[in-house]
Amino acid sequence: MSMLGLTALGGLLGLDGTSVGQFMISRPLVAGVLAGALVGDPLLGGLIGAVFEVYLLVSFPTGGSRFPEGATATVVAVGSSAGLGAEGGGALALAIAVGLAWGHVGGLSISWLRQVNGHIVSRQGRHGGRSPSRVTALQVGAIALDFARAALVVGTGLVVGRAALTAFAPAWPLDMRGSVGLVLVGASVSLGILLRDFGGFRKNRIGFVIGIALGLVGARFL
Amino acid sequence: MKGFLWLRALVATFLRSLLIQGSWNYQTMIGTGFGFSMLPGLRRLFRDRPEEMEAAVERHLEHFNAHPYLASVALGASLRLEAEGDTPETVRRFKTAVRGPLGSLGDALVWATWLPLVSMSSVALYWLGLPGPWAALCFVVMYNTGHVGLRLWGFHIGLDAGRNVAVRLAGMRLTEWTARLRSWGVVVLGVLGGALLGGSGGLGDAGVLWTALAALGFVVGLLVGHQVWRPAATVVVVVIGVLAIWGTVG
Repeated sequence: MSMLGLTALGGLLGLDGTSVGQFMISRPLVAGVLAGALVGDPLLGGLIGAVFEVYLLVSFPTGGSRFPEGATATVVAVGSSAGLGAEGGGALALAIAVGLAWGHVGGLSISWLRQVNGHIVSRQGRHGGRSPSRVTALQVGAIALDFARAALVVGTGLVVGRAALTAFAPAWPLDMRGSVGLVLVGASVSLGILLRDFGGFRKNRIGFVIGIALGLVGARFL
Repeated sequence: MKGFLWLRALVATFLRSLLIQGSWNYQTMIGTGFGFSMLPGLRRLFRDRPEEMEAAVERHLEHFNAHPYLASVALGASLRLEAEGDTPETVRRFKTAVRGPLGSLGDALVWATWLPLVSMSSVALYWLGLPGPWAALCFVVMYNTGHVGLRLWGFHIGLDAGRNVAVRLAGMRLTEWTARLRSWGVVVLGVLGGALLGGSGGLGDAGVLWTALAALGFVVGLLVGHQVWRPAATVVVVVIGVLAIWGTVG
């Protein structure tokens, strides 16, 4: 049941990524909480979502660029690790690895879908499909195809991820703290990239250092 | 452009603009979605003139691209041009002229500033101890206040200004607003870094080795930029894979 639910959730969040609304409920933080609630482990969902959110701070659905699909990555990661016991750390680390890989599969599938859409649009143009009903049918059909794409990618990702985690998580050599540290090393690269995007360290050093101090104080007292 | 029927057509056009990227493709980009969004307004304008209606649909299905949120500016302005009876060539030229600026303005304001700013704020709150569902709710509410507001404002300004929309947009000084938001973004980025270092369950708890490696990763990202993201993610996946195999075999 949760597998079907996660697949449907993956399809819906996939739509939000580009096709419908872009309300950003497909961002990892939100997707992680939703997927976690669906599998009965909102804490793990929140943690995986928060880690992916930092990874994907520099990944946006801009124009024709290919980007890793954050919702796919998160739903696959949460669904694959649910019920395996996150306290050992293996479930978390392996889920992040599977999610990162499957996020790229999601990105590739979006490029493929856009090519298919292009063929359909060209064909319709050649056959004079300019009536409002045909235009509406094309648009709705493309959205349905995007839902099917996202659900298929998430569904297969869950099968692969579940098999990988069941095989490897029990013998994972790091504890939970080490596992979180390992995945945050990769995430910290995104923070550096973002500071560069904002103009670099030299230009922003005062604001950045004030922020670090505020973050440390907040972590100490909140 | 007054009256209940027009209002209905405008509301329908705006709601359809939420689906403008539904058929995104490399040939017409969001052109098909643009034509689809224009349909309610065009139906209202050309309800007794089927040939003109078909020609209007055809010209709005042509290649078009812009930031999806700011495409509402072009939608509103194009409806106004059509309602005022401008020539097809004028409408085409207008759309060609605005698509680039609406794309770059939206990318800078939304994708490169607003989204990371709200995302960092919410995820910093999470690492500072706010439960995941509340952090997610904060994100959705904050982000969409700006998102939906921008779409509505864009559609309104497009309808109101028509062909003069570029002048109106220039007067809004959106570039300056973007720069201000980015200054705040730097502080929030620092807060997130501090929260990851000092928050419970973060790098501080993981130990010196992971903190030092994370600092190294941060510096590499800062020095190299976007092209290092994919290799870094690949390294993380490979290291986790090697550790998993090592743990299982060993």
